[in-house]
Amino acid sequence: MAKGAGSRETFLPAQYQPPLPLDQLIIQDGAAGAGDRMELDVVIVGAGPAGLAAAIELAQLARRDGTELNIGVLEKAAALGEHSLSGAVVNPRAFRELFPDLQEGDFPFRGPVRKEAVYLLTADRRVRLPVPPTMRNHGNSVASLCEIVRWLGEKAAALGVNIFTGFPAASLLVDGPRVVGVRTAATGLDRAGRPLANYLAPNDLVAKVTALAEGTRGMLAQAWCEWRQVTAENPEIFALGVKEIWETKRALGTIVHTLGWPLPSDAFGGSFMYPLAPNLVALGLVVGLDYRDSALDVHGLFQRMKRHPLFRRYLEGGEMVEWGAKTIPEGGYYSVPTRRSGDGVVMLGDSAGFVDVPSLKGIHYAMQSGMFAARAVFAALKHGDPSAVRLGDYDRMVNASFIMQDLYRTRNMRLAFKDGFYAGALKAGLMTLTGGRFPGGRIAMPRDADVARRLTPGLRPGSGEIPDGRLTFSKVDGVFKAGNATRDTIPTHLIVGRDVPSEAADFYARLCPAGVYERIDSGLRVNAPNCIDCKATDVLGPRWTPREGGSGPKYKRM
Amino acid sequence: MKIAVCIKRVPDSETRVKIASDGKSLDEAGVKFILNPYDEFAVEEALRRKEQAGAGEVVIVTVGSAAAQETIRTALAMGADRGILLQTDKIPADGLEVARALAAEVKDSGYDLILFGKMAIDDYNHQVGPMVAELLDLPCVTAIAHLEIGGGKGTAEREIEGGVELVEFPLPAVLTADKGLNEPRYPALKGIMAAKKKPLQVKPATLGAGGLEVLALTPPPQRKEGRVVGEGPAAVLELLRLLREEAKVL
Repeated sequence: MAKGAGSRETFLPAQYQPPLPLDQLIIQDGAAGAGDRMELDVVIVGAGPAGLAAAIELAQLARRDGTELNIGVLEKAAALGEHSLSGAVVNPRAFRELFPDLQEGDFPFRGPVRKEAVYLLTADRRVRLPVPPTMRNHGNSVASLCEIVRWLGEKAAALGVNIFTGFPAASLLVDGPRVVGVRTAATGLDRAGRPLANYLAPNDLVAKVTALAEGTRGMLAQAWCEWRQVTAENPEIFALGVKEIWETKRALGTIVHTLGWPLPSDAFGGSFMYPLAPNLVALGLVVGLDYRDSALDVHGLFQRMKRHPLFRRYLEGGEMVEWGAKTIPEGGYYSVPTRRSGDGVVMLGDSAGFVDVPSLKGIHYAMQSGMFAARAVFAALKHGDPSAVRLGDYDRMVNASFIMQDLYRTRNMRLAFKDGFYAGALKAGLMTLTGGRFPGGRIAMPRDADVARRLTPGLRPGSGEIPDGRLTFSKVDGVFKAGNATRDTIPTHLIVGRDVPSEAADFYARLCPAGVYERIDSGLRVNAPNCIDCKATDVLGPRWTPREGGSGPKYKRM
Repeated sequence: MKIAVCIKRVPDSETRVKIASDGKSLDEAGVKFILNPYDEFAVEEALRRKEQAGAGEVVIVTVGSAAAQETIRTALAMGADRGILLQTDKIPADGLEVARALAAEVKDSGYDLILFGKMAIDDYNHQVGPMVAELLDLPCVTAIAHLEIGGGKGTAEREIEGGVELVEFPLPAVLTADKGLNEPRYPALKGIMAAKKKPLQVKPATLGAGGLEVLALTPPPQRKEGRVVGEGPAAVLELLRLLREEAKVL
């Protein structure tokens, strides 16, 4: 692609996005290059709520049955929970089902939702809205996903599950159409990819069933779907959320959601502010990646948002103690792949797109999908037949459950916002009133990368924020507060398109919340160690691939 | 070659620590604990010595809470053979008490080497290694940056101000490891699996109260905010003036 190709008024991200490196992501079992080889019954990729719930349910089924199952969970973070980020207000139903002997008070929640408020913001005012039925959180609890994951990890380990933190899965090992395991990423390479003294070769973990619970924008899940040509009615679409945790002087007693300012009306999104403890507040801003202005900067908008009196009154005089960012699969019902299982493989949680945007929920769907997968996998192993036919039971369980019922009810709500906030709000209101029956049919969505971006000069949403270091922070400050101490001599893990024009360089620089991309005179500079694995540019530009285990953020209470 | 490595579970250096309500201990809530980084060098060196000798045993010993078992498993995952936890709810402030407990444990067990990190990154005391050596009446070389073993004796290099000191010592001996001694290995997957099945003995620690008491912990003073002096060439003169008159560093 020639430099500066395309029209000067708009910019199409897909034009500069490199393809998924399938040859690197899907390799034949037995391919050269691996060190140790280990055999397990089930290998689970990703120690998040989906992967750990699957591991726990499997271990419990095996224990009840008196069989021995060798279960391994691979996690790319250095320690459990360090790459997990969510709001979060959690629906406890999956916890109740997974731990029938525990009481509500035993779960790793910070406290029940007591009061909630939804506001429409303008630059300096707020209008309180009635809480939409989908957003009512009575009976749910505020929680930190990091804490949930650590707690689930302890439960899994106590049941004999092997949890390998610091080991990212880099490739699917396949034999014909069958997934037979994964190969981990190498550790201890220098910038040019040469082994250092502490080099650790990739390991092959072979298993009867591989469960992909990589979370949002899972790389192996994407690769498997592309390889097996598994599609959905709509492509998956994503949002980017940037989040901070604050120790505040003023106590917050309500969970707060906002719409409107500082987002332009052609972007979909909103903010949240939750009390983890009276003086410990989690807040963030989530913006759909189908925004139209090429210069929109979610981190910058979030910083601007904190100047609003609604937030400032809590934050002023307090201290920002943690920062993080993550994408969210927002496509809902029509973006869930038609099957989430195949020969030797199942796909769980965010990797499969089990998120309901109107209620802002995903954690309990992730866990429930893990539990269903565990039941299907256990039955398949009992029959000695982990084939697509047997593992299809997992899809059938999900389809018949509240997961798909909930997603079906709100199937078009997020999609209605593709033409702007006001038209979207009107349509979403009608859908709520009619229980999803109006307007009927499916709203077709383009891939985020296929949405053209305006190249308007002048003032831009989120750009031009000058951080004061007290209330507002730069991206570099954020990366520091994410605990990111990635070795700065590792090889780059981001695949950038060739001949990236300056408008793409600018677009990536604004899009990435962690300052990985910088526009320089002659093009693009990539500060790969800054990356905190949010996957935003994987959606719209340069591809993310796993790097040395333990790299990236070290979230504590996100 | 039989080697003991004495380790400590410490708060991660990247953790933001908070002082507990008693004003003299750390609030452990939400704190991530790790194997003391200097002890990692000691574990790595022990593994290399055993590998070089072709036979032997690497034993991990620690004084700490029940949670320190996890720290021992980390060392076992790196390749150590077994672990011993001398369990206590509270590690005394007086390093001599810890040294006495460790010395009693490793005494008369036929160790050729007893390795430590040169210090723990939580209390910065640099004490326990040399104290154990003294209690056992063994030679001690602290803060070693290079080690050679052969013919019943060892030579170690220490990086001292302006140069390198070369020390020869007979075995058995107590050594404490400095940064730069080696590049600790990452635990391999097989190592992590194997570590779960390696023996880990837990017994109560016998500890005296010791002669030291922590009266108070205080955080370092808040750093003063920076200030922009000005822009352009005129700012240079102003900066010089401030460095001379206010900061008094010129």
